[in-house]
Amino acid sequence: MRARATILGALSSIAVFAVGWQLGADGQQSETTTSDTAAGSAPTSTVTPSADAGSSTATPAPTPSASASETTTSAVSGTFTGTSVHTRFGDVQVQITVQDGILSDVTALQLTDQDSRSVSISNRAAPILRQEVLSAQSANVHSVSGATYTSNAYLTSLQSALDQAGL
Amino acid sequence: MATDTAPLSRAATFRTDDTVARVRRVRTRRRMRAADLMVVAVWLSVAVAISLWLAYGGMNQVTDPASAITALGIVTGLVGTDLILVMLVLAARIPAIDRVFGQDRAMALHRRLGRPALSLILAHAALLTVGYAMSDGSNVVAETIGFLQSKDLLLAYLGFGLLVAVVVTSLVAVRRRFSYEAWHLIHLLSYLAVLVAVPHQLSAGGVLAEGTGQRVYWLALYVLAFGSIGVFRFLVPMIRSARHGIRVAGVEQVAPGVVSLHLTGRNLDRLHTAGGQYAIWRFWTGATWWHAHPISFSAVPTATTARITVRDLGRGSAAIGRVRPGARVSIEGPYGVFTDAHRVAPKLAVVAAGIGITPIRSLLEHSPLSPGEATVVLRGTDSTQSYLWSEIGALPSMRGNTVYTMLGARPPGLATWMSAEALSRGVTITSAFPDLLRSDLYVCGPQAWTDLVIRDARAAGLREAQIHVERFDW
Repeated sequence: MRARATILGALSSIAVFAVGWQLGADGQQSETTTSDTAAGSAPTSTVTPSADAGSSTATPAPTPSASASETTTSAVSGTFTGTSVHTRFGDVQVQITVQDGILSDVTALQLTDQDSRSVSISNRAAPILRQEVLSAQSANVHSVSGATYTSNAYLTSLQSALDQAGL
Repeated sequence: MATDTAPLSRAATFRTDDTVARVRRVRTRRRMRAADLMVVAVWLSVAVAISLWLAYGGMNQVTDPASAITALGIVTGLVGTDLILVMLVLAARIPAIDRVFGQDRAMALHRRLGRPALSLILAHAALLTVGYAMSDGSNVVAETIGFLQSKDLLLAYLGFGLLVAVVVTSLVAVRRRFSYEAWHLIHLLSYLAVLVAVPHQLSAGGVLAEGTGQRVYWLALYVLAFGSIGVFRFLVPMIRSARHGIRVAGVEQVAPGVVSLHLTGRNLDRLHTAGGQYAIWRFWTGATWWHAHPISFSAVPTATTARITVRDLGRGSAAIGRVRPGARVSIEGPYGVFTDAHRVAPKLAVVAAGIGITPIRSLLEHSPLSPGEATVVLRGTDSTQSYLWSEIGALPSMRGNTVYTMLGARPPGLATWMSAEALSRGVTITSAFPDLLRSDLYVCGPQAWTDLVIRDARAAGLREAQIHVERFDW
């Protein structure tokens, strides 16, 4: 009888592990899929510079570029502030600098700062995210492992700033 | 599958041997199945604890040594906490667990889990500190100071400190230095230790984040563990004590240092006490109210009366002998698997020594025995230990069954449960119980002596399922 309990226990534990593993893998997959579609839809959105930004903290300074003749799209310059995104470890908000339609800089105005752990995680993640975003010129980048909350909020705020800039 | 509902131990209506054997087989099978299910449930709870982290996507976050150490720290925390909750459930005196395993076996597992659980929690704290320090590029001291800035983590450290105190005072060597009451008081801190660790589980880390299934499951575990303790250790005993209004009717000295307490109360038959069971009693007098004692029923309760017999083994139980008639009594129980319901074999072999006669007396009274079914050996060092013996032979159920008495000291320097005299006559466990291998063996007496009886029974080839023991030393 003890043997039966052990075998049953082992088998059902393996089943539970398999389910847990699968859920973990699924979760990761759906996460990437949603961020893919979100990023994918960004370029198709309107290119008109939006002065009517929803966020009150936004500082839209769209100045149509003089050298717009080369491209059909109107190249924008200025700084745009993304929406503030709330996470369980604190709020995250980024500001972008755009020059002639090119994303030239990302500044984190606020990062997850609930406790010292959150601060150290965001301090580690922010430079990596900035680097990746600048080279990808979009919010369609991988989140930093071990900093999922910070990354997701960072990229969400970034996307809203990019939308304002019309990038 | 089984449809029998007749309580065999109470009604002797099933009297043909075939029926009894069939009922016992069905009961045993059902009990084994329940036992297996409970063991599987413990396994599963550990597996689910790990899977909470897997489902959170924990594996995807393991990319370098630092994150691997951090991940291990999270998992050890989950499993360690799960084991602590299992320990609480084991200590909650849940009727289903008592019926299947008995409280003494449940508590044996509870004790065995203590150190592994504490080690896992210790590993949890250490691994996370190291893992965080590595990924931050700082050191463990700075990381710990950082942790202490957070109110939730400060509480968690407090809980950990309390857990260490609880487990250390329970180590055998240390426990001896404390009185039972002091130890028990410290042990009650474990409830606090478990609860103050909750906030950091919910606020730090992502596995138990708000809005996740993991969080719901985890909180349900806490509700289950603390709920069963609240219900079965506090609510049920309080209601029972109030409902039955038990009082001491008389105190009868049956031998030097041994008293029978005659109790009265309302509807005591509705406690459904099986012969051989015990309860945990508290006598509401100035000298005794602060300590509850496990004491066996020495007779099956009637509707209005019950009798328990106790020997003064310690300071507390000596005071019980001086309780005055009229004193109010509260009861937790009845508990125990030393009953007819746990029989598996056609014959019955019983060995009792000293105060161990108590549950044996009520067990035999309650067992529907056929003539020739039972053999009883009553063991004592001298005639002062032969209390209640005369009642055994007078039990209606013992008609046509054999009672042997074995009085006398053990031979010096020899590990045996028998008297020197019996040993010199060549008595063995199989000569005392010729049908031993077809019998259920019920043993009750001092622990070391009991172990020797069991040793002989095992050596004779008796299966574990046929050995029934009541431990009296907890």
